[in-house]
Amino acid sequence: MNMTFWLIVLAVILLITFLPRVGLRSQYKSYRAAQEREQVEDALKHLLDREQAGRHASPESLAGILGLSRPRVTGLIEDMETQGLVESRGDQLHLTADGERWALHVVRAHRLWERYLADEARMPLGQIHSEAHRREHNLTDAQLDELDAALGFPTRDPHGDPIPTREGTLPKAEGTPVTAWQADRPARIVHLEDEPALAYEQILAAGIRLGQDIRILERTPQRVVLSDGENEYRLAPAVASNVTVAPIPEHELLKRESVPLTELAHDHRAEIVTLDDAVQGFTRRRFLDLGLTPGTIIYPELQNFFGDPRGYRVRGTLIALRKDQAAQIWVKPV
Amino acid sequence: MNPNDILAKAETLRNNLSSGFRDEIVKSLYAEAETIAQRAVKTANEKRYDFDQKIDRLVTSPLTGLPIMLLLLAIIIWLTVSGANVASDAIATVLFGFGEWARALFVGWNVPWWITGFIWDGVYLGLAWVVSVMLPPMMIFFPAFTFLEDLGYLPRVAFNMDWMFKKAGAHGKQSLTMAMGFGCNAAGVVATRVIDSPRERLIAILTNNFVPCNGRFPTLIMLATVFVAAGFSPALTSIIASGTVVGIVLIGVAFTFLMSWILSRTVLKGEASAFTLELPPYRRPNVSRILYTSIIDRTIFVLWRAMQTAAPAGAIIWILANVPFGTSNLAAAIAGWLNPFGILLGLDGIILLAYIIAIPANEIVVPTMMMMYMGAGMMVDGPSSSAAIFDLLVNGNGWTMLTAVNLMLFALLHNPCATTIMTIYKETKSYKWATLSVVITLGTAFLVTFLTASVARLLGWA
Repeated sequence: MNMTFWLIVLAVILLITFLPRVGLRSQYKSYRAAQEREQVEDALKHLLDREQAGRHASPESLAGILGLSRPRVTGLIEDMETQGLVESRGDQLHLTADGERWALHVVRAHRLWERYLADEARMPLGQIHSEAHRREHNLTDAQLDELDAALGFPTRDPHGDPIPTREGTLPKAEGTPVTAWQADRPARIVHLEDEPALAYEQILAAGIRLGQDIRILERTPQRVVLSDGENEYRLAPAVASNVTVAPIPEHELLKRESVPLTELAHDHRAEIVTLDDAVQGFTRRRFLDLGLTPGTIIYPELQNFFGDPRGYRVRGTLIALRKDQAAQIWVKPV
Repeated sequence: MNPNDILAKAETLRNNLSSGFRDEIVKSLYAEAETIAQRAVKTANEKRYDFDQKIDRLVTSPLTGLPIMLLLLAIIIWLTVSGANVASDAIATVLFGFGEWARALFVGWNVPWWITGFIWDGVYLGLAWVVSVMLPPMMIFFPAFTFLEDLGYLPRVAFNMDWMFKKAGAHGKQSLTMAMGFGCNAAGVVATRVIDSPRERLIAILTNNFVPCNGRFPTLIMLATVFVAAGFSPALTSIIASGTVVGIVLIGVAFTFLMSWILSRTVLKGEASAFTLELPPYRRPNVSRILYTSIIDRTIFVLWRAMQTAAPAGAIIWILANVPFGTSNLAAAIAGWLNPFGILLGLDGIILLAYIIAIPANEIVVPTMMMMYMGAGMMVDGPSSSAAIFDLLVNGNGWTMLTAVNLMLFALLHNPCATTIMTIYKETKSYKWATLSVVITLGTAFLVTFLTASVARLLGWA
């Protein structure tokens, strides 16, 4: 009796441990495999990053990025060499063609996820990088294509970085660092470098946003002062070099003569000029569905007793918008 | 040209599109629609706009808007509660009468007592009870609610209340799903479909249960009448009792906001998505549509789901009350084991057992409690007068004011009924959210009742 009992216990333990696919052992193995793959993918991304910056990665830089000890990194590099993903020449690491394709795949996954988290899940910009980093691994090309199509084939991530195409071409990042921009020319912010995170936090904390139009007020070795007409932003030059700018597109200059919908007085008619570039994805679709297209006449008709939201008459219907939504619609009083 | 070339060509062209091309597409669609509309539609005059505007000013102004809203809500709830009483009694007479008759028939045929008991005192009684208590309030509440919906008034409520919901990280339309929750929380959960952003919709789903539904009103009213209002002169009784119930409802609303605030800063973190709310023109309500939506889509839908869970609950109640265990029955034994935990929460074992059995439908909490307090073998109505109920509970079963207050709080905050949990699962397609809805409500109920009981005992009030 006792013997039988212990035999059953033993059988159950063996089953739980060694059962194919659901057993503890195979669970642990697939967990390890996923972890190793994540490490390989992070290493590939770092190599691609360095190559694009015209520098070369080394075992030291890799160890620093991945937080691994030297012996572990050496093992990882050997593994990747056997898989034909990297070649080491002396102290320099180079991506092979296969390695580069895979790296671009991961970068594509990362940036598509960032787009999704920012536009559809509406996560705060400061949080999307780490969340996308968690989600970028173990995805097939077909899954990425699906995500790409669902997002409407975006070309840039929320930081302004280009998203690689399915074929693995990476559009060149345009623009000039604000530290090298012609001082008297107005410019639009087209990219905010999100690494190192500390500098990115400072940029966000200063209140600088992607798509903002700015002028350079002051540029000395001690500080860079930018202005968007209302507020002034002060940055250390080292931080400011992570802000990339480009000329303002022609049609966007229209915004100059317009005001946000929130500033329109009660019962004053106006014409919609444009929707702010910061509005993308879900919110933008919703606005367009409701008929808030450029050229439409709109006027505030219904006041809430707490000032927010307000009811606006558009195309014969009454639509209520909260202040932060209305602030993203630019109008010209008529 | 082969398809791949076309795709490749499209790909290169796509990269050259300006970022605003989607806006342009929608703009041209609207322009086209406008030209067609101009050709086909003739506008007679602008008078209707002015009339709508006048009503809008009235229902959204600070002086009149809020009172109108509260008045309408009060009228609907009063109509429901008082009207349902009469209808419930009538339906109960018919259904229970039929049960008695069928039972007598079975006894006449010499069917073993346990078959007769199981079928007629268990399954049938559970079904009859839920139908007679649940159907009338829904038949009154849902048409009244749908009437306001059809009129175009409800979006104005969302418009008025949005500022509060915005602070809690939720959507103004949640006020409508909460109002629907007074009728039935399962219907309230279905109603959250009007909220188009997923995050705010989940908040509305998970917190809907903090609004007491029709099934919980009888418990609240009974306790308010027997315990709170009993100390006042008879003339004031009904006013004090309604005031108490309103107070409990307000506590529930406060918990809704608190939980929405907590959720939007923890599990459902993120910025508020687009808030867009259409305020449609006022329309003359369409009676046949009101009846169809409120009776078929809402009442029958909810009642059917409730009946599916009420029948097994009736069976379980009968088994617990009739299977002997030790010197008494199974129900008494389980209540005995639960008693220490119940006392800790300022309740007792019988109340907790009643709530466990009543997971399928909150309507049967009071009859199940009464069954156990009176030692009956099936669900019973309990004594008919307030004084007799007071005597049974306080002198017979050791209730105090703390028990009554904590039972009211527990009835307000405890887990959703099985129908609502099932609906949450169907609406979210996720066991995770359905489980979370139970965890947060039950957790709140335990925490709050434990705190009130401890504070009352420390201060020597109970």
